[in-house]
Amino acid sequence: MMSLPMISGIGSVTPYGPLAGLLSGDALQPNAITAWETSAPRRAFVVEPFRAASIVPGVKTRRLDRLSAWALVASSLALKDASIDLTQVDRSRVAVFFATGLGCVELTEAFYRSASANGWAGTDPITFPETLTNSPASHVALFHDLRGPNLTISSKCFAAESALLQAASLLRHGQAELAIVLAGDTLTRAVYEWYETAGLLSSACFSDDSSLEGFVPSEGMVAMVLEPAGRQAARAYAALGAGRWASGGDARSCAEGLLGETRPDFIFCAGNGAPCDSAPELCLAHSLGGDAATVYPAQPVAAGMGDAGGLLHLLLALSKRPGAGEALLLGTSAHCGYASLRLEIF
Amino acid sequence: MIDAQKTIVVTGIGVASPYGAGLSRLRAGLLAGECRLAPAADLYPGFQGMVARVSDLPPVGEGPRYSRSYSRTDRLAMAASRDAVTEFSIPSSLLRPSGIVMASTVAGLTEIDPGIAQGPAAWYRDGGLARAATYPVSRVAASVGEHLGVNGPACAVSVACASGAMAIALGANLLLDGAAPMILAGGSDALCPFTLSGFNSLQALDPELCRPFDQERKGLNLGEGAAVLVLETLAHANERGARVLAVLRGWAMTNDASHPTAPQKDGLGLAYCIGRAMEMAECGVDEIGYVNAHGTGTPLNDIAETHAYERAFEGRRRPIPVSSTKSYFGHCLGAAGALEAAITIVAIEAGALFPTLRLTTPIESERLELLHGPVRHEELPVAMSVSAGFGGSNAALVFGRLQR
Repeated sequence: MMSLPMISGIGSVTPYGPLAGLLSGDALQPNAITAWETSAPRRAFVVEPFRAASIVPGVKTRRLDRLSAWALVASSLALKDASIDLTQVDRSRVAVFFATGLGCVELTEAFYRSASANGWAGTDPITFPETLTNSPASHVALFHDLRGPNLTISSKCFAAESALLQAASLLRHGQAELAIVLAGDTLTRAVYEWYETAGLLSSACFSDDSSLEGFVPSEGMVAMVLEPAGRQAARAYAALGAGRWASGGDARSCAEGLLGETRPDFIFCAGNGAPCDSAPELCLAHSLGGDAATVYPAQPVAAGMGDAGGLLHLLLALSKRPGAGEALLLGTSAHCGYASLRLEIF
Repeated sequence: MIDAQKTIVVTGIGVASPYGAGLSRLRAGLLAGECRLAPAADLYPGFQGMVARVSDLPPVGEGPRYSRSYSRTDRLAMAASRDAVTEFSIPSSLLRPSGIVMASTVAGLTEIDPGIAQGPAAWYRDGGLARAATYPVSRVAASVGEHLGVNGPACAVSVACASGAMAIALGANLLLDGAAPMILAGGSDALCPFTLSGFNSLQALDPELCRPFDQERKGLNLGEGAAVLVLETLAHANERGARVLAVLRGWAMTNDASHPTAPQKDGLGLAYCIGRAMEMAECGVDEIGYVNAHGTGTPLNDIAETHAYERAFEGRRRPIPVSSTKSYFGHCLGAAGALEAAITIVAIEAGALFPTLRLTTPIESERLELLHGPVRHEELPVAMSVSAGFGGSNAALVFGRLQR
């Protein structure tokens, strides 16, 4: 039986900015959207523009969409945070596992714009390959010369949790010796207007409403380095234990089955959409944890990232520096099923 | 000695291909050497080249809800998965806790048009809201789950043209993890102007019928379809008395890390992938009786793939038989790996090595036997399906007969 894989490095490009390691943990307010013209002020949790090469020397992102650029930056920061010298690693055994809800939607929109302007016969050959959902993961492999399994997945509500579990599975089955797990999405005009037309947005998107009730869209990318416990890691944030995710069924019995006789010290809620006091994962967390566990509610900045928000939920919870102990990352939704992951926090 | 808990077997296959619904129609079409490619302009005026379409996609539900809520890619996936559970008598009680891993690259792009670029809000108000909801690739897996009442883990895989094979590999991993008693794994992609235009812009399309592995090859033809494999452990299959169609003996995934779109010229990454899959399958280079190749028909892919096989099968006593069944109904993108896995299992079951159609002047290689001419019938205990995709991704699956 292999020891539990460890999260040994974290990098992120989020509304907090591009950072290695933990975040400040301060709650954010949504900021005004300026990336496209809006008919009236609109707000969201957006990543402020930055120059990728100033963070990762030598990285070229001119022809990439932001998602791919963020993947390069976040993965580089995570590897640096884990103090991994890739020249000392068998790169054919390093996996990249990317979770996303919408993929490379920026350049997909650009491709439609070129079709709209020039007809289907006049589309841009450079843009087309970059519209593929696996482009960010491919660029990570190309930039770092990582030749192991390179996967891009999506799972309704719980793509990030699913990626974390499946990357751990690659390590467990000897299909990789190290994995970089990424999860992220970008906000674009077409995505934002879809949410707005569907009537999903919080009032905080339209006004300076500090209550943040409801859904405030978010964007960003989080990368975590996952490696077997055996390697002498410079640091370990957490060990990843057993986990389950499912598209339906009973979240409580799944979580109880995972926990067995033990009770977690911490429960990290990973809700998505609109965190609130009656969110299903929060109610379940209080019920499972009782008085013994500290419950960390879902943060709007991570919940707004939707399917790919799980890693940001985990990062925000770790950034609260809960102390050592057993934790449960818990997400559930009436429409999407649930995800439960056990973690040992160091 | 087989460890039944760790042996992954295929106990059902569902197909929606340009031959029609069902594995039997796929088998008959291949054995007859029937090409389903037709001029793209018949379906999409203004487009050149050849395509293969699923012309009699069976209905998966009645009423406008189905046409609004599900993309064509979703409906292909639903049809193939329904075919698998119906034809192979999978009880609904077993489906409920099962998992789904479905591959797609196109997903709901079939339902979106360039009008969205002119003003998204107006496009949504004009009926686009429900159509856009089919855009996320996860929707393909969720559609299958809704259709069959599956409640277990569900995820979609989108790794360009290697997606379908990788979905099967990830499904197998989930079974080894005990995440579900059974996994429906496969891929689905529909034809649409977005992909036709994209490949056309890259000048990757052959304006005529494609000729994989031919020295005169000019590019690929696009197709559409879906295939779903029912995967479970041998122990689980034995427990419920299921007939085993094939054993998934080995699987591997690698990346070239070489170029965003072009394959690695020397085939190194793909050869490594094939080697890893054979290692897992515990079979030597002489045991593989046939390779169903990625074989797109593009000048770059087929020569790189040839080099990969020469490298991977070095030391083999006789040339390795290789063919591309994309010559029958085109390249089905995210579904290709799953459809070709199904074809590889048919090849083993029928003892039939399918030739590449229209292959008259094969790429010269002493180590490859690029199959052409009539179908060759011979015992085929072990065969391999190979996929590759933009972004340098490679996948190899080794299937074999169950040895009792």
